Amino acid sequence: MIRLIPQPGEPIDADELHDVNDLVQARIDGRISRRALVQRALALGIGAPVVGVMLHATSDLVKGAPSDSRRATLTHAQDVEPVPVSGPTQPEGEMQEGGTIVVGTSEEPDTLHPYLTYLATTFDVYSGVCESLLEYDSTQTLQPALATEFAISPDGLTYTFKLRPGVTFHNGDPLVAQNVIDCWKIIMNTDFGAWQQIGWNKITDITAPDELTVVMTTEEVYAPFLTYVGAGQPILPSSEIAKGLDAFKQEFGRQRLIGTGPVTFVEWKAKEQIVLARNETYWGSKPHLDRVIYRIVPDTNTLLVQLQTGEVQLCGSAGALGALDADKAVAYDNVIVLEHDTQSWQHLDLKHIDFLRMTKVRQALDFATPSRQIIEQLLGNRVLPSVADIAPINWAFNPNIQPRPYDPEMTKQLLTEAGLTQGDDGIWEGPTPAPDTTDPNGPATGPVKKLEIELWAVAGSSQTERIVQIIAQSWNEIGIKTEVHFEDVSTIFGPEGYTYTDKMTAGLYTWTNGNDPDDLPYWHSTQRPTCPTCSGFNTPAYFFPFNFQAEIDDLTYRAATTVDQEERKQLYWQIQELLHEELPVIFIYWSRDYPVVAKNIGGFWPSAFTNLLWNVEQWYLTQ
Amino acid sequence: MSRFVIRRLLGSVPLLLGVAVLSFLFMHLAPGGPDTIYVKNSRMSQAQLDAIRHNMGLDQPEHVQLVRWLGNLLQGDLGTSYSQYRPVWDVIWDVFPNTVYLVLTGLSISLIVALFFGVLAAVRPYGIFDSFTSFLSYFGLAMPVFWFGLMLQILFAVKLGWLPSASMHSAQGGGALDLVKHLVLPAFTIAIGSIASWSRYVRSSTIESLGQDYVRTARAKGLRDQTVLWGHVLRNALVPFVTVVSIDIPLYLTGAVLTETVFSWPGMGRLFYDALTKRDYPVLMGILILGAVLIVIGNLIADLIYGILDPRIKYA
Repeated sequence: MIRLIPQPGEPIDADELHDVNDLVQARIDGRISRRALVQRALALGIGAPVVGVMLHATSDLVKGAPSDSRRATLTHAQDVEPVPVSGPTQPEGEMQEGGTIVVGTSEEPDTLHPYLTYLATTFDVYSGVCESLLEYDSTQTLQPALATEFAISPDGLTYTFKLRPGVTFHNGDPLVAQNVIDCWKIIMNTDFGAWQQIGWNKITDITAPDELTVVMTTEEVYAPFLTYVGAGQPILPSSEIAKGLDAFKQEFGRQRLIGTGPVTFVEWKAKEQIVLARNETYWGSKPHLDRVIYRIVPDTNTLLVQLQTGEVQLCGSAGALGALDADKAVAYDNVIVLEHDTQSWQHLDLKHIDFLRMTKVRQALDFATPSRQIIEQLLGNRVLPSVADIAPINWAFNPNIQPRPYDPEMTKQLLTEAGLTQGDDGIWEGPTPAPDTTDPNGPATGPVKKLEIELWAVAGSSQTERIVQIIAQSWNEIGIKTEVHFEDVSTIFGPEGYTYTDKMTAGLYTWTNGNDPDDLPYWHSTQRPTCPTCSGFNTPAYFFPFNFQAEIDDLTYRAATTVDQEERKQLYWQIQELLHEELPVIFIYWSRDYPVVAKNIGGFWPSAFTNLLWNVEQWYLTQ
Repeated sequence: MSRFVIRRLLGSVPLLLGVAVLSFLFMHLAPGGPDTIYVKNSRMSQAQLDAIRHNMGLDQPEHVQLVRWLGNLLQGDLGTSYSQYRPVWDVIWDVFPNTVYLVLTGLSISLIVALFFGVLAAVRPYGIFDSFTSFLSYFGLAMPVFWFGLMLQILFAVKLGWLPSASMHSAQGGGALDLVKHLVLPAFTIAIGSIASWSRYVRSSTIESLGQDYVRTARAKGLRDQTVLWGHVLRNALVPFVTVVSIDIPLYLTGAVLTETVFSWPGMGRLFYDALTKRDYPVLMGILILGAVLIVIGNLIADLIYGILDPRIKYA
């Protein structure tokens, strides 16, 4: 069995270890290196996929080794700049037991049901009420939660979890192995309609040898299993599932939310607030606070006012401020503005059709996009430039690629090289690649067209609107006719959205990566949707595959199935270089989040890897 | 009169059905759909997507969806929200009373102030008071609600600290006084727009009534100016005003989106906006039907008030 809580000891020789679980345990305890684990596992004849599972268990596959140095205490010394998060907030003054913290967020959850929603704001609330078998902390390290330890079979197909004894749900039901089995069944029930089955759908059999042991057998070795099942959807009480599909969908997550977490659900006043209270019978350390109240404040200006007046004392995670609003909040003397990187990338999604199938035209657009001006002048350097799809905080990030500068002359040169000329009206025009060509970078023999691009973005955000206007202005000045469209999300991504029209379009929006750098869903040919209402994430290639499709298919597949981290890293570096060269989309910046917290709140520790209430039991107020 | 009321209510049934059918058709003409957000989920398989569409009934042709929805409506069932997974009536009823509090308070203020301003401005057209109220009216009409609301918040909540900035109750709860404190700023924000437009209606209809023969007759009889103004002129001037108010009130009740958003008021406007962005058709249809019913009732009440204001109007 593997304990996730490290018990550091003297370094040991990996050659003395002969078992999957011993190797994982030694790595968690910091007694062997990551490389030693991999080398010893391979020497023992452990299959490469199983080594991938082991690296997930030690948190090595997601982001380096656990490091206590990341837990440096954050003190409240703020000048006029946000404070980078390096640990939990620790204000001056004596810790007070009890009290209430009011949290503000702009979006109301649709439901609090952990199995039914995809909204980050819902994750934020239930992350304090419900718990999974394992959990990630703010250093992206796997920690024990409802399971105290686990074991992986040598063939990597069977997982055994030991449940924490003495845990009860908020309704008094004891936590037993049958709960896990019932959760798996309901998640996989198509009539129920869980929003995500990934990981759980790999389980072929699940048994409970005793009340506190769960054994899961999977159909294949699946490296992210511990991420998606272990630290994925939380475990809910069987008595609620037994009430039937209708009750479990309609009442659970609205009238009640029952888990094992440090806070309990008290009430939800629609469009106003959700009240959570201390779980007096929590298995872990007892929460300091009496209550946490989650207030819905749909307007950001109002949220800023409420932070000033103290009506709201904290916002973070899905409710964190953006770059522009952070500038206003740093001026308030009763709060501190924090700052942390995210894995969210703002980009221009290019639809590969007509001229946009040509590498030189896409590169020309990149040179014509004043990303640096947007980052420096509009966003005050509160975001990071991006050159590809892997975030600087991820271990697979390639630091050697430099963003293209804003250079209208290079744009003109590349457009000319692509066979376009500037017409009498100043708009670039020329022959497009023939629809049936497999080499859009070859001689263009298709219809002559003007370089006219519709630029779409989600309406309602002044920051987005300003970015789009800057880009459109720049493109228009160069002779790329650009028409701006602002629409709501349903329109933009729906069948009538920009993806499925036969015009040249670009869309400005943000994707958020998972903890693993796997980017196959973004670019692989298997992810191209086959109809406007079909599933599939690679929508830029909806009409035509990328001109570099075979290469990106090969690289993303190999990267997703390789377990040696160094080798995998090299593959992701190649992918980033290819993406930077070919530009399936125009990468603009990595967002940063700006949580805000009152100066008398301690224990708050936000990150890109956790939801808001992940450590709510450690939050406190000072006197 | 009761026969009149019953006849009007029965006559409105086909109207409401027409509204229902048209709303349904227009809604489905709008781009996107409630399943769009699932399509953009990288972890959603085609089988899961199909199952979700089946559960929502979106795999049926639109005319089948319409007939099914109308059948349920006739049985009093507004359906189940796509995004909240619970009955539409519960979703609406959670917030409808909140909007009633806000709108009735705001419109009561509007009614009193608009009548007062309108009548006094009409007594001396183009005088100082008329110019003053004209300025206020144009200011009220031209001013964006979100800006005015924010200014009120900064002044009364941040600078003076007299009132809470937003929401309906304090986070820790509170009684009637707490509710009243939270009502002040949003109600005044709602009122300002109505005061601006309604006072102009009252002013112009009062000026028109002041020029009528019966006013000259009343004055010739030696009645005091105040009696003529408030007893005779206003009563006649109110008839067209009642029409305007009877249409405005139901519209406000189905949503003052901006005011509710700026003041975090948990009301119908925000519900409608959220449902619109998520294409939650059942909730949208429920709100539209409720709005149509309120307009029918509002017009009926207006007709009844006409009879009180002007005894010449008979209900046949």
